[in-house]
Amino acid sequence: MKRILPFCACVVATIGVACGRGEGSGAHGVTSDSTIAVRSDTSHLMVAGDSLRLIQHDENLPAGFPLAVKPVAVNNPYEGNKDAIHTGSQLFIAYNCLDCHGADGSGAMGPSFQDGRWHFGGSPGDVFESIYQGRPDGMPAWGGRITNDQIWMLTAYVRSLSSKDLSTENFTGKTVERTGH
Amino acid sequence: MMSVMRGTLVGVLMGTSVACSAGKPAKSDTAAGAEPKVTSQAASGSASVTGARIAVAHAGPPGEWQMPAGDYASSRYSELSSITPQNAANLKVAWAFSTGVLRGHEGQPLVVDNTMYVVTPYPNVSYAIDLAQTGQPLKWKFRPENAQQAIGRACCDVVNRGAAYANGRIFYNLLDGHTIAVDAASGNQVWRTRMGDLSRGETITMAPIVVKGKVIVGSSGGEMGVRGWIAALDAGTGKEVWRAYNIGPDKDVKVGAKMKTFYAHDRGKDLGVSSWPADTWKTGGGAVWGWLSYDPTLNLIYHGTSNPGPWNENQRTGDNKWTASILARDADTGELVWALQVTPHDMWDYDAVNENILVDLPIKGQIRKVLVHFDRNGFAYTVDRATGEVLLAEPFVPMNWSTGIDLATGRPKVVETKKTAQDKNVQDICPSLEGGKNQQPAAFSPQTGLFYVPTNNLCMDFQARAVTYIAGTPFIGGNAPEKGGPGGYRGEFIAWDATTGRKVWGIREPYPVWGGALATAGGVVFYGTLDGWFKAVDARSGKVLWQFKVGSGVVGNPVAYTGPDGKEYVAIYAGIGGDMGLLIAGDVAANLPYDVRERGTTLPDISRWTSWGGELFVFSL
Repeated sequence: MKRILPFCACVVATIGVACGRGEGSGAHGVTSDSTIAVRSDTSHLMVAGDSLRLIQHDENLPAGFPLAVKPVAVNNPYEGNKDAIHTGSQLFIAYNCLDCHGADGSGAMGPSFQDGRWHFGGSPGDVFESIYQGRPDGMPAWGGRITNDQIWMLTAYVRSLSSKDLSTENFTGKTVERTGH
Repeated sequence: MMSVMRGTLVGVLMGTSVACSAGKPAKSDTAAGAEPKVTSQAASGSASVTGARIAVAHAGPPGEWQMPAGDYASSRYSELSSITPQNAANLKVAWAFSTGVLRGHEGQPLVVDNTMYVVTPYPNVSYAIDLAQTGQPLKWKFRPENAQQAIGRACCDVVNRGAAYANGRIFYNLLDGHTIAVDAASGNQVWRTRMGDLSRGETITMAPIVVKGKVIVGSSGGEMGVRGWIAALDAGTGKEVWRAYNIGPDKDVKVGAKMKTFYAHDRGKDLGVSSWPADTWKTGGGAVWGWLSYDPTLNLIYHGTSNPGPWNENQRTGDNKWTASILARDADTGELVWALQVTPHDMWDYDAVNENILVDLPIKGQIRKVLVHFDRNGFAYTVDRATGEVLLAEPFVPMNWSTGIDLATGRPKVVETKKTAQDKNVQDICPSLEGGKNQQPAAFSPQTGLFYVPTNNLCMDFQARAVTYIAGTPFIGGNAPEKGGPGGYRGEFIAWDATTGRKVWGIREPYPVWGGALATAGGVVFYGTLDGWFKAVDARSGKVLWQFKVGSGVVGNPVAYTGPDGKEYVAIYAGIGGDMGLLIAGDVAANLPYDVRERGTTLPDISRWTSWGGELFVFSL
């Protein structure tokens, strides 16, 4: 696992050209771009690690169900990278994400990114997948339309917005400016 | 801005310039739920107009409600008269029905032959409710195929504004761009026609009308860079008979020999192309998501068109015809007969899709065949419905973007400092982009000759920016945070005299009045509020006679019908949503329970008074 990080960074720098399946499909070789490439084999089940953690009542599972399988971490090379997050915020406007998800991701036609709640998982891999392949409520699939590198920067930006605890509404808190259509 | 304050409307506009910039109507929120204030503006003149009449008769028996507005004239007037100012205080809930959907319940049910027909927001389930049996059991429930993707392609919640009944069938639109016909007796789908292209952001939310065997429908998607259209389908087969675009070449807009619009500057070849830079008309909006009217004598269909896209006006210099316009089309062919662009080169998101109410009114001693239209831009228009000539246009809400309508041209005189521009933050524009009135339809009573109009009182700052068209994503290029308008209230339910352009009375509400109106022959007017009250009001005085808290905010429209027991009933949806409920309200509007949002500055504590719902309420004495 430790080998992944430096490898990712260099692969991403080449934006999906040099990072084909051959390079990324080794036993531990899950890289940024191979997140997509591995979808054609069974290892994508492991990538969707969050879903495994949703199993809470394993008494209902058949004997031998592989509960012990550890999800493979998909690391975003840009996680926490200020420059990349800034670029991500510009892409967020350029690709019209803002007009769906609201200013600073506060929620509009599409869901909020500020609330720490994720409809389809909030790990870097999950968010990448949401942007890459789209989601059923109308989120367009951006894979192939923009570079995977840009998707990672958007992922870093979107995840950076999720910091607020909005779980209690007591009508004394602050408000955000909202735009109707 | 001072020039806005013209003699006749000083009362309405008082304080516009001052309070607009102040922005915060401090105490209004705490007033939610308190007794509303009636403000009389009738310093002179009578509180009624004599000699006025609705242009087209109610559809079917007086005790039924067969089309969205009750008649082709869009009057929302019921001839039922049992509920009066004297007894309205005795109104009680007769029964209720849960629609099973928690989204914005705009629109209204239909009542035909002791059966009520309800269409829900997405997924657009329809119900036939048997009124003749105790407990109101369902006759049938129909769940159409409806692409889930449509949820995220609809700009302003997943609303549906209702169905139309004709010849034993219920016709309505699906959010994913289909029009369907359902057999009223069995609930079986008779036909289904794909009209919109979801991949380009075309959804359908409007209520159709049926005219001479044709179902008339139009597209939504003014915020998605669509090219708006209106179309007619054969009611028998679902086959498309004609389709007219509102922008583009004359051939597509159906401009030909029949076009004889009133103002000279609106005549000319291919104005739907030449009033746009290069190919920008192809993604220029002009959708038809509002209400339709029809005059059988003139054989004209009246509809409005939405804002131009994108909001950023720098990307589309020119008039942008025929966006933000009222259009009159031949019902048989869709050919354009006249067009009135109420907001040329709109730069404030002032769609013109609000209803056009067809009435004959005494104006300057003469009965004129007019349509009355309360536009988002804040002007109430009284227009000759045969020619498109503006007879009168006066502000019906506080406004500051225009000093008035030039009756010689029909065009607004725009205040220079309120023009929006790319990369500029233009502050304190009134009304806000929600308009002086939005989709919430007004009603007209021939008894009083007055219009009953649910209005908004909001202002905005407008920040336009460059935007790229990407199919299936919003094509907006702007942000426009809103705030309460002058006077410390955010909405007002008003009575309007369209012969003089004056407000007769008004009931100030803490929130925009986003639900429609119903006028009845009993002299009672009904409407609902965003904070969940349903109210009965004296049509002449504006006195609130009765109110009931229905729980979820009302964004739908009341209808009246006669039950099998012969009694008068009034029905209304409770279910906050739509643009006001979903986008503006914030927390109350989260589209899923686990999508949590901060409250919005525009309606800072609406979520204290109401929450999601989806309930039909029926009241009687």
